[in-house]
Amino acid sequence: MSKKQSVSKQKGSGSNKPLGVRVKKYAGFYVMFLPILVFAIIFYYLPMFGVRYAFTNYNGIKAPKFVGLENFSKMFNMPGFWSAFWNTLQISVIRLILTTLVAVVVSLFLNEIINIHFKKVIQTIIYLPHFLSWVVTASLFSLILAPTGQGLVNTLLVNLGLVDANNMIYFLGSSKTWRGTFYVIQLWKETGWQTVIFMATLAGMNLELYEAASIDGAGRWGKMRYITFPALANTILTVIILNLAKVMNLFESVFVLQNDAVLDVSNVLETYIYYQSFNSGSIPNYGYTTAVGLFKSLVGMALVLICNQWSKKVREGRGIV
Amino acid sequence: MKKKIVSLFMVAAMTASLVGCGGGNADSSNTGDSAATTDNSAATTDTSSTDNTASTDTAADNTQAEAEPAADDIEKPEEITIMIDGTVFTKENGQEQFWAKFQELTGIKVNVIQPDHDAYYDNVGQTIASGDWPDVIILSSTYYSAYAAEGVLWDMTDAWENSELKKRQEAHNSTGIVEGVKLNGRLYGMPSGRGNGCVTYVKKAWMDNCGITSVPTNYEEYLAMLEAFTNGDPDGDGIDGNTFGVTAAGFIGNEAPYINYLPEFYQDAHPSFYLKEDGTYADGFTEDAMRAALERLADAYAKGVIDPTTLTNGTADCRNKFYSDDFGVFTYWAGTWASNLKNNLINNEIDSELIAMEPIAEVGAYLDRVPPVWAITSTCENPEGVFKYFIEAMQDGGDVQFLFTYGVEGVHWSTAAETLYAGETNDKGESKEKVYAEGEFHMLDNLETPGTQYTKAHIDPALAPVELANDPGQKTIAPEAKESAEMFATHSVTADLIPSTDAMTEYNGDLTTLKNEIVAKVAMGEMTIEEGYAKYEADGGAAWSQQIVDSLNNQ
Repeated sequence: MSKKQSVSKQKGSGSNKPLGVRVKKYAGFYVMFLPILVFAIIFYYLPMFGVRYAFTNYNGIKAPKFVGLENFSKMFNMPGFWSAFWNTLQISVIRLILTTLVAVVVSLFLNEIINIHFKKVIQTIIYLPHFLSWVVTASLFSLILAPTGQGLVNTLLVNLGLVDANNMIYFLGSSKTWRGTFYVIQLWKETGWQTVIFMATLAGMNLELYEAASIDGAGRWGKMRYITFPALANTILTVIILNLAKVMNLFESVFVLQNDAVLDVSNVLETYIYYQSFNSGSIPNYGYTTAVGLFKSLVGMALVLICNQWSKKVREGRGIV
Repeated sequence: MKKKIVSLFMVAAMTASLVGCGGGNADSSNTGDSAATTDNSAATTDTSSTDNTASTDTAADNTQAEAEPAADDIEKPEEITIMIDGTVFTKENGQEQFWAKFQELTGIKVNVIQPDHDAYYDNVGQTIASGDWPDVIILSSTYYSAYAAEGVLWDMTDAWENSELKKRQEAHNSTGIVEGVKLNGRLYGMPSGRGNGCVTYVKKAWMDNCGITSVPTNYEEYLAMLEAFTNGDPDGDGIDGNTFGVTAAGFIGNEAPYINYLPEFYQDAHPSFYLKEDGTYADGFTEDAMRAALERLADAYAKGVIDPTTLTNGTADCRNKFYSDDFGVFTYWAGTWASNLKNNLINNEIDSELIAMEPIAEVGAYLDRVPPVWAITSTCENPEGVFKYFIEAMQDGGDVQFLFTYGVEGVHWSTAAETLYAGETNDKGESKEKVYAEGEFHMLDNLETPGTQYTKAHIDPALAPVELANDPGQKTIAPEAKESAEMFATHSVTADLIPSTDAMTEYNGDLTTLKNEIVAKVAMGEMTIEEGYAKYEADGGAAWSQQIVDSLNNQ
């Protein structure tokens, strides 16, 4: 019997022991696992039963009435739903690409800063906005971007002669400018935080590569292009893949910055559900909102599976789930 | 393969769990008596800040057809369970002492379920869905009409008709408040006061600075005043055109009656559903009055007399701008808010004289919101007893009403000689000290937020249908608050209570979102009125509206 076969047999014999014996042997691990299991059951598995309401009309008073696929049929016929669906996809994907791209660029530049104290100060400054709540962020930018003499940005534009004082730009109040403004605010708030993971990757890089490149005559740009950026590529891909799975979850940042005049470009699925629930002047049909939620989750699931396949292809068999 | 299956299962599980969250309040699990704490939002603040939307009901089928027992036969309940929001004293604000005093006065023990004020209706929904209903529940008009339609609420019409309370309200000529919450002629909840509404305040100093000698009485004069405030130098800082005429939190309100923050522009328009004089329901959004309102809004916005940031303003933004002297005309709550506005202007060292304008001719009357109600649930074992000894007692004009108006002696109010806030100063370094003589009625310091005095308990004395026999608090009401409340009471009509229907549940969320978008875009000039109504048709608004109107008229 070869050594390999012997090891394999030993492993096999271990896992073939009766369950009771194995549980007893690893009792400590099972005890440690128990809280997580209970947590998962209560907060992940039990709520799954809520899915059944998607196939009913339910107002929280009378017993749910089974209506089959009626709620889905209504949903697919509502222009507001489709508008929210496309808005969700567009805003999320563009936001993801922008924040990742800018975070990479910022990380590369941060990596080039030699003075460690200055680097830390800069890092702290760009991390800080992440810790502000979205409500505070929205209030802050409403003020900064106000189309009046009190708005910092408009005042600046007027002083530079770029905007007429009587025709200031209502950045958050116009469909034409809302999305761009949203992305800028998003970048301001989240770029710093996104750089954490890239900076960690850069910190683990082998410095000998740079030394070798220097000997070969590479300048800073050359090192960044041929060493740093390729080293980050795998991390960038991982970040994009992981975040792509979450693109359907978009609420707070949009909700606090949107208003009646920009709903056509800002209403996303989660705000759509919110308005269905609280804007009807009546007790909402939870069956319908659950149907929209289920559809959103199914799309999210599809994205996860696609990403998983994609991940396996580009990361040598390593999936994300 | 096994790994794939496990992966798929995990993804599906996570997805489904997300649905549980995304699906709104679908789960029927109950919190029951779980919610015991609360914020203190009400109890210490003006009733105007508590809300309610107007909707009405269609009226459920009346299940209660039995003859009303004679008053003597009505058994006094020993114990009742109530579910209340933060408009009644919370735990932090002496809830225990309040209900102990109630028990002392009536002999009834009250079990209180008081969820957090901001999450009150989430908890109400969960409680109702659980089937484990309290005996009494406070409901805003939207929930009131919907729950009445679903048979959750006990029909108290007969009890009301035979009650002493009705006689008391008749004596005060205030039965209109109850009439305003009837659903198809039946009563399912008792308001403890008027809903209150907004009046238009104008800065007197601004009028003087602009040479305006009389308060506007029609739209033409009103607009001329706004133009003078916008283009002139009403704040006297030597700069023309750095102020605005009026502002509001959005071009349209997010709850019924929707138009109460900009009444002079909306005038007789109804952006949503309303009851016509012939007794049928209509959607006023496509009527000429609404088109004219949109035209006025667009015109005024283009002229710059409406604050350019109206769209993104919250109510707090509006108040702060008013206190900073950025604009001169503000439509806001009648009553105690008149004092709040004045005091904040004083704090900012700005001339604080405000004129509460009577409604201009085209408006006719301000709108009084449909008030929240105290309702008895249909599972209550002794509804007649609860009505007589709890609901009626609350407006007895005597001790119990006093309790609901001012709270408990020594906890919420006092007549003892004392000095409040001795040595304390406000932000400007001015003394906050208040000295009270022996026997002088005054409210005490807020238990939860020291530094502010209580103003009332649950019932606002200025809005109560029944006056207290001996109301010491009347003397503490500031003259400007009393004046604006009286002017509002004289010049207001109660907003319509619109019934809840299945079609409304089905379509009104999308419809309201669409209407709000059109109003905002037309007002800001991003869309013409014709384009707005074309969008309304194209996006299905007209069809949804018709289905809702049909459902209202065919109940």
